[in-house]
Amino acid sequence: MSPILIIAIGLGTAFLLAFLDNRLRATAYAITLVALAVMSWIAADWLFALSSGSTGPVEIFTAGTKPPFAINLRMGLAEAALTLLITVTGLLAAVFLKEPMMRLGRRSMAVLLIATMSFAGIVLTRDVFNLFVFFELAVISTGGLVLLSDDARALSAGFKYLIVSQVISILLLIGIIFLYHAGGSLNIDDLAAASAAGNSTVLLKSGALAFFLLFIALVAELKPFPANGWALDIYESAHPAFSAIFSAAAGAASLYAVDKALLIGGPAWLPVATAIGLSTFVAANVLALSQTSDRRLLGYSSVAQIGLVFAVIGQKDLLGDQYLFIAGGILLAHAVAKAGLYWLSGTLPERALTSWAELKHHPVLLFAFASFVAMLVGLPPFPGFYAKWQLAHALAADGRYLVLGLILLGALIEAGYLFRWFGYALKREAPAQQVDLSLHKIGVVLIAVAAGWGLGYLWGDLSGLGNVLTALPLLFALSFLALDWLPAKVKNAIAIAGLVAWFLVSYPGYDPLRLIFGVIILIGGAVILLASFETHGRRIGFYPSAMLMYAGLAMLIVAEDSFGFFAAWEILTLGSYFLILRGKKSEPHALSYIVFSLGGAFAILAGFAVAAQGTQPFALQGLADVSATFAPYVFILLAAGFMTKTAAIGLHIWLPGAHAEAETDVSPMVSGILLKAGLYGFFILLMTMGKTQFYGVELTYVLLWIGALSALLGNLMAIFQEDAKRLLAYSSIGQMGYALFGLALMNHLGWLMALMFVINHYVYKSMLFLSVGGIAKRTGTKLMYRMGGLITLMPLSFIAVLVGIIAMSGVPPLSGFGGRWIFYNAIMSSDARLPMVIIFLSGPIAFLYLFRLIHTIFLGQLKDEHRRLKEAPFWIVLPQMLFVAFLIGFAIFPGLALRRVDAYLGSFFPSHGLAWEGLTITSEYGYWSPVSIMIVVAVIFVVLLAWLVFLNHRAQKVKQFNIVFAAERPYRPETTHFAWNFFAPYRKALGFLTEPLVTRFWGGITGTLHGTADLTRRFYTGDGQVYAFHFVGFVVIVYLLSMGVRP
Amino acid sequence: MILVSMAAGFLLILMGLYGALTNRNILRMIVAFTIASTGVNLVLVSVGYLAGRTAPILDAAVPVADAAERIIDPVPQALVLTAIVIGLGITALMLAYAFKLYETKRTLDISKFTELKG
Amino acid sequence: MIRHALAVFFLLGLGTVFAGLLLGYSPDTELNLTARYYAENTANDLGAANIVTAIIVTYRGLDTLGEVTVLFLTAAIVALVLAQSRHQPGTPQRVLPPSGELLHTGSRLLVPLIVLFGVYVFVNGHLTPGGGFQGGAIVASSMLLLLLTDPLRRFGHRMIARVESLSGLFYVAIGVLGLVLAGGFLDNRILPLGDFGSLFSAGAIPIIYSLVGLKVGAEFSSMLVNLSETEKPQ
Repeated sequence: MSPILIIAIGLGTAFLLAFLDNRLRATAYAITLVALAVMSWIAADWLFALSSGSTGPVEIFTAGTKPPFAINLRMGLAEAALTLLITVTGLLAAVFLKEPMMRLGRRSMAVLLIATMSFAGIVLTRDVFNLFVFFELAVISTGGLVLLSDDARALSAGFKYLIVSQVISILLLIGIIFLYHAGGSLNIDDLAAASAAGNSTVLLKSGALAFFLLFIALVAELKPFPANGWALDIYESAHPAFSAIFSAAAGAASLYAVDKALLIGGPAWLPVATAIGLSTFVAANVLALSQTSDRRLLGYSSVAQIGLVFAVIGQKDLLGDQYLFIAGGILLAHAVAKAGLYWLSGTLPERALTSWAELKHHPVLLFAFASFVAMLVGLPPFPGFYAKWQLAHALAADGRYLVLGLILLGALIEAGYLFRWFGYALKREAPAQQVDLSLHKIGVVLIAVAAGWGLGYLWGDLSGLGNVLTALPLLFALSFLALDWLPAKVKNAIAIAGLVAWFLVSYPGYDPLRLIFGVIILIGGAVILLASFETHGRRIGFYPSAMLMYAGLAMLIVAEDSFGFFAAWEILTLGSYFLILRGKKSEPHALSYIVFSLGGAFAILAGFAVAAQGTQPFALQGLADVSATFAPYVFILLAAGFMTKTAAIGLHIWLPGAHAEAETDVSPMVSGILLKAGLYGFFILLMTMGKTQFYGVELTYVLLWIGALSALLGNLMAIFQEDAKRLLAYSSIGQMGYALFGLALMNHLGWLMALMFVINHYVYKSMLFLSVGGIAKRTGTKLMYRMGGLITLMPLSFIAVLVGIIAMSGVPPLSGFGGRWIFYNAIMSSDARLPMVIIFLSGPIAFLYLFRLIHTIFLGQLKDEHRRLKEAPFWIVLPQMLFVAFLIGFAIFPGLALRRVDAYLGSFFPSHGLAWEGLTITSEYGYWSPVSIMIVVAVIFVVLLAWLVFLNHRAQKVKQFNIVFAAERPYRPETTHFAWNFFAPYRKALGFLTEPLVTRFWGGITGTLHGTADLTRRFYTGDGQVYAFHFVGFVVIVYLLSMGVRP
Repeated sequence: MILVSMAAGFLLILMGLYGALTNRNILRMIVAFTIASTGVNLVLVSVGYLAGRTAPILDAAVPVADAAERIIDPVPQALVLTAIVIGLGITALMLAYAFKLYETKRTLDISKFTELKG
Repeated sequence: MIRHALAVFFLLGLGTVFAGLLLGYSPDTELNLTARYYAENTANDLGAANIVTAIIVTYRGLDTLGEVTVLFLTAAIVALVLAQSRHQPGTPQRVLPPSGELLHTGSRLLVPLIVLFGVYVFVNGHLTPGGGFQGGAIVASSMLLLLLTDPLRRFGHRMIARVESLSGLFYVAIGVLGLVLAGGFLDNRILPLGDFGSLFSAGAIPIIYSLVGLKVGAEFSSMLVNLSETEKPQ
């Protein structure tokens, strides 16, 4: 079927509709749908033929005359894909627009048909003047479709658009006629050939000016910042189904038009495209930060995404074969997601971002929302992810760091407001409104979701890097989406079985290091999941999120190349975000988690891209061979990325809230397991790159300091917490600091100790979070001073906490001591004295906060309201008891795990190993015999206990009201509690160290961004004439900047 | 000579744009754009003009054989017709919009239609 | 005041671009490649005496189809926009002063002549200056005259819509026929080229241009009628 039929059918049907009686609306509507479907089918047919290679690109001649004497069209791969996008968007929009079109009659349907046809025409035509004609058709039909809106403000928005498009068409016509004069042709390829040959006047003097006018007029349709106020008004006020067309179809068509025009302009204009595209991308994303209306926010996001693709067009010269893959990936992900979000907004009656909270009652729509957000941000498995990866590599290989940096910055800001919005949907109070669940509307949204996933699969296949969607762990995680109707207990059993099975399958492939991480992630994950048996009902959304995180972790440790590593990293980030967001009050914390994590992920992406220098696939081992020029930058970027996950001081502010507000069984997952991903990254980084110098500064030494400071400050902050879970969360910062410190020592024992921390931290942090969670479940509070005397009511929890604390504080006999012992040995063999002192200091501080857990929760006076409490639920206690058993076992036989690892580490650091003889471990500085220690401690314990029992015999029990209160009831009763502000004296002495400087710093940055947004948005006054001013000013400024620097 | 008409065309465009950018009244803006469009059309036809030649219609005065030496460039003539018609379409659309805008607020002052902004 | 100064400032910038174009412009002395092709081949290939018409209807026929669509679209949207403002039956009719004998008689005399002239202009579009757009506009001016004579006169929308729709459909159909029978979409050689310079020549060009004339006339009329039937806001 000739592609020209797409145009002919669109037009013919539009004319036919005018012939129909106005009362036959249903018939007219059906004809419209059929016509759009046929147009889509023709495009799909071509796409299939072109991509399967059964036919090549074809030229379609009109009037039986060859170009340039007659207009010709071209149907190639890009054209087919874009035409399909446009026609399908038109078709789906027509379905969505059923009510308004039935109300307004056949004319509105004709206008939609012509709009779709003209966007397709813009893509297909190879003639500049024909391009102008289709553009004007698009403008006029836009002017008509805007009026389909129920929003009365759409009228003024449409008029503003018409004003600006008048100016645009003036420039376009002048540009075209002078190009014709300079090149003697109106055919794009003719003009391009002439300008490329350089032998004509096309790009000299007036020819260059003519091209500038053509170019800037076409660029105006991309809604460049700041000449885009009109577009935002349309986005906000038009019918959402039309906004979907405007964003997806019109955006794609305009981009392709500019791309064609650049054939004439040649490479000299690519930097201009880059500059306009990037400034639009960043500025629109910043402006979106302060939006409160969903459709306007989506408008800003659309403007930004189109700007991004334009910036990619600006990189055309270096992308080569990858150009279509990258630009297409970003564009299609944007188009599908944006259209989907607009359609979704069409099912909601209210415009505030927070009113999307209504979606939480509809898991399927929430899933759609999540998919669209992930698509826009460029997370796996969607096309934008692969495109972003390839783009970053191409840019880094060519040294275009500024472009790369700005793209990542803009993407991060975009992720920030999109995930904030998603948080609203899940956590805010839903207003009293009804979601419009009409089948045709929801159907259209779901088609967009399916298209997004399908494109993700396709792009994965085309990437040549490995298709994320064929990874077994990910498929397993996604299968929980389909299983979400099952009771939680059944899903839990499946999840546990899956983790264990995957471990058994992949076990043989692990080296000792990976084995340790593998056991913690998979087996450890399964143990924590035991606690999830406690929950009832279906627990919608929990399992897909949790298993997504586990899938990412499982994929992370088997990743061989940088792409696999990064894909896994993003998957685990996304999964853990959803998981953290489930907590009752975790909305802001989950947001800061995802923003920090994605910032870290982007740093990792940039690091890998710089390291690879264009080589793909890039094995992780290859990090060892990075040239000295790039090595320090790679090191810094990767280390910064991993530090966001280990919550090193400075990048830690997301952690306390995220871990403390998570659900009872989620806290151990995100603390005990998730943090290890960062440590694993550090292992890989240091194993391959080792010591790296940056302007004479030893980077591992910097890490050493960061680790030491994290340990000190994390512990310090922990001692001042009143909330038990928050206390544990802060202590994780300290613990990760220790591990980082150990790694940065860059010696055998340091690494062994870090691994010891990996294991220990998992065990005791999971255990403590579970016990505290179980207690909080029973008492209904996490504040320690509200508890007390629970030792007799919850003895098992007490034992768990006691054992955990002993293990964690590093006193004999439990494994924490082993860790400490190795640690001190490690320090002895290093010469970093000052950080060493800091690390020593933080040890006792850890004991202070741990003491509070036992002291305040379990000892002291039982609160009246807690008298009838029972022990924590069985399923929460069970994993704790397993951990207790493990800790004791590990304390006696640390060699079980460490011996093999020790030998393995010997291959990196041959000297300073440990000697393992029987049950005794010897280092250069002394020996450690776990069994004897256990015996000694046991003897001491039994003696002391006997002594206490003996003393207790004579003790006098103090009754609650034995104490006389003679004062008024204080204003804040908790202030009189002895456990409140327990370490006030220390706070006086050391409190200055815990000033929230870092929080203020990051708060200042977001505040500045929001302030900039609020200031800049005043620029958009809403006055159509001012918008025309903006455009004319934009033209003049681009002219001065681009032509001024040109000869 | 041809430069004069072209310069006049450009001047009309600038005048039209000045009018459109400084007049608050919607109808005046539309008229101003019409002036600018006229300027564009004038520039368009100027570009195709060749001194001393005639209209591109073949008849007794312009035989087919030496048409190439006798006629002016027909392409801009064809383009200008399209441009005129399109300009007319947009003007009609803007007028309809103006009518509706007036109906909603009883004013034609463009600066009064700023409920969408920021 | 600032606005005026700013406008002057920006337009000076734009004026610089235009000045660059103007000063860099050197008029051609010879036809360029494209124009030369048309001059030399139009007569033989398409058989049209008016080269501009040949370009408009055939060589750049896709543009013209788009152009017609612009009018169709505008007419449709204007009707859509003004639909709600149409005079509601039952509300009091406007009372207008009578238009006078001269206008009445004059229009009765002139309308058929104008229509005839319009038809003449578009039927001969391939031979003489003129064509579908010009002819269509002339035909529509007869409608304007009728409306001026009696502003309250009501016309059959259906009739206008049918003419508009059918001529558009035939136009597209002829385009597709060109794809099937001749060299491509909108190729005029689906009919014999005939004797150069006669009325029945140049293949499908006269037919297309007549359809364009009818369509343009109908579209302009529909816009006029819609505008005239719109009530002044109360």
